[in-house]
Amino acid sequence: MRINKNMYIVVILLIIGIALIAFFGIHAGPIQIKGMQDIRFGIDIRGGVEAVYEPKDLDRLPTDAELESARLIMETRMDAQNILDREITIDKNNGQILIRFPWKSGETDFNPQAAIAELGETARLTFRDPQGNILVEGKDVKESVVQIDSKTNQPVVTLVFNDEGKQLFADATEKLIGQRISIYMDEIMISSPVVNEKIPNGEAIISNMGSVEEAKDLSDKINSGALPFSLVTKNHSTITPTLGSGALDVMVKAGALAFAFVCLYMLFYYKLLGAVACFALLLQVTVQLLALSIPQITLTLPGIAGIILSIGMGVDANVIISERIKEELRDGKSLGSSIDAGYHKAFSAVFDGNITCIGTSIILMIFGTGSMLSFAYTLMVGCILNFVSGVTASRIITKSLSKNDVFRKKSLYVKLKEAK
Amino acid sequence: MIKFYEKRKIFFAISLVIMLIGIISMFVNGVNLSIQFKGGAIIKYTFTGDLDTEAVADLSSSVLNRDTEVQITEDIATKTKKIALNLSGNSGLDASEQDKLDSAIKAEFKDANLQLSESNVVQPFIGKKFMTNGLIAIALSAIFIILYVGFRFKKISGVSAGVIGLIALLHDCLIVFFTFTFFKIPINDSFIAVTLTIIGYSINDTIVIYDRIRENAPLYAKKPYEELINDSINQTLSRSINTSIATTASILIVCIFAYVYNIDSIKTFAFPMLLGIISGCYSTVCLAGPMMVMWHKIKEKKAA
Repeated sequence: MRINKNMYIVVILLIIGIALIAFFGIHAGPIQIKGMQDIRFGIDIRGGVEAVYEPKDLDRLPTDAELESARLIMETRMDAQNILDREITIDKNNGQILIRFPWKSGETDFNPQAAIAELGETARLTFRDPQGNILVEGKDVKESVVQIDSKTNQPVVTLVFNDEGKQLFADATEKLIGQRISIYMDEIMISSPVVNEKIPNGEAIISNMGSVEEAKDLSDKINSGALPFSLVTKNHSTITPTLGSGALDVMVKAGALAFAFVCLYMLFYYKLLGAVACFALLLQVTVQLLALSIPQITLTLPGIAGIILSIGMGVDANVIISERIKEELRDGKSLGSSIDAGYHKAFSAVFDGNITCIGTSIILMIFGTGSMLSFAYTLMVGCILNFVSGVTASRIITKSLSKNDVFRKKSLYVKLKEAK
Repeated sequence: MIKFYEKRKIFFAISLVIMLIGIISMFVNGVNLSIQFKGGAIIKYTFTGDLDTEAVADLSSSVLNRDTEVQITEDIATKTKKIALNLSGNSGLDASEQDKLDSAIKAEFKDANLQLSESNVVQPFIGKKFMTNGLIAIALSAIFIILYVGFRFKKISGVSAGVIGLIALLHDCLIVFFTFTFFKIPINDSFIAVTLTIIGYSINDTIVIYDRIRENAPLYAKKPYEELINDSINQTLSRSINTSIATTASILIVCIFAYVYNIDSIKTFAFPMLLGIISGCYSTVCLAGPMMVMWHKIKEKKAA
């Protein structure tokens, strides 16, 4: 690529543009780009609850279907408590369920340990009449599946009761013809079909499902009522939002101050090359923030460590290059060839340093757990960006600047007494 | 121009003394694993006024039937007081048990305005898995780096470059580890994050110097090996110093903020990182270079 003398303006404007997007995001109708306000923070930063549940008093590993049912119970309960921003992960190999959800600031009467304990309790599925009397219980349901009604071609949920349930259900439906029979999980109503006729054989059909997904959801919830165990957690942590946001505030303040210090230091020591380095670092940091905010990757405290490390590597790339250019200038080479030689000779060191970091972060992604993943991700993105911003973008700016007469004075690059 | 090779004995002595202090601190203070790794339960509350730690400990022990250690800390910047309940043993704690404890102490010490600040309850087997994964990641990264360095720097004798790089890495990891033992910081997941970060920085420092040696090697073919090494280190010295100043100052700022605002999670992270970064730069400039020369001399002697 031929670099002309005005290109630096384009690149710098581009960097400023990207920085603005990263700081403020774009919210213009169909174009929505999430900026740094929308970064998803881990519970160590914003406060929240994390717990690992396992079945209580079960001498075997739970089956996949049982774990799935347990997950559904938790989802339903959290929906009811309006905890929507949650993560529920099933670990099939260890028979565990991991949940994470934020603790919103302002919820002062929230009792996390009670909430954690409640989430794991056995779900109580009941069938009730309009007055709220319990008619049949979840333990009497043998199974529930989704089928497609051959006449209407619509999805339906079928229910099969055991012997005891069969009798109870027959009695109930006989009494309630034309009325509703409601299905509750704990105290949450999950369905309320109308009884059309007495059902004596213990096999009921719930029709009028909106979609196959809706039918599947209901059927799974009904099955979860027959889950034979409750879940307990002896592995959980909570962090209040005040403590969390305090940590974030401190990190942001410290980060901004550190960034300002590095920029001033670079400007003082490398003058014009230092100014270029500041833009390169700005590009690196802001793209890194966008790499977190756009795909909504969770940022944890170790993740911030990854950002710090990669910025350090970015500073280093700029220092290596600037030092090299100064050396070439001191040897009496012309400005243009000093810049070319500087970038050329510095590249192998920058390359090896960053490749090892990328390699390390990939290993960490494979073997790391939990918050380590955030570290690996930010580090990897940062080191890849080092090539783009620290090497390519800064080279274009420097090269283009050097073609303008105003920026050709060697004293802008090295101290005069150093230059031969 | 600093003659790093000639002064090697001073550098080796400094490192040995630090290592020795570290080893002693390890035996005196013990290696203290955090509950994140060994399992256990810590519950922290903020409070106002005064609290009798013994009364809190007694109440907690009687509710949970488990001995409890209680500590009070105060935040310098915000003057917030915190009380930490550390339950004995390594097992976790059922959430409903924790709820019982919560209601009991809130009822007993009504005036203290107790608010849950954070709780950390870990089952030993989950903590162990977490630690094993972290250590595997550290070991594999180190192996990867040595292989990569060995491969990329074949020209300047890959094996010695790799092995000496590894020694420098080990030195820095030990400095990080001893920082934890010397200052009695429980070893937690920050330890893994810091160690990995330091491995990254340290090897980057080493690579920059190796890169210079690789580049200079053809020009110095007829000069003594120690001159090649000394010159290469000196040529990259201003880079080493400037990068170290920039990174050290950044971490120092983070560290100061963490101490002023008393944020444990950042404190246990920034402080060992600070010492690790300084060590990373030192080990490369003052240890790796001279060791390269020593390795070369031994090889020459054998050949002769």
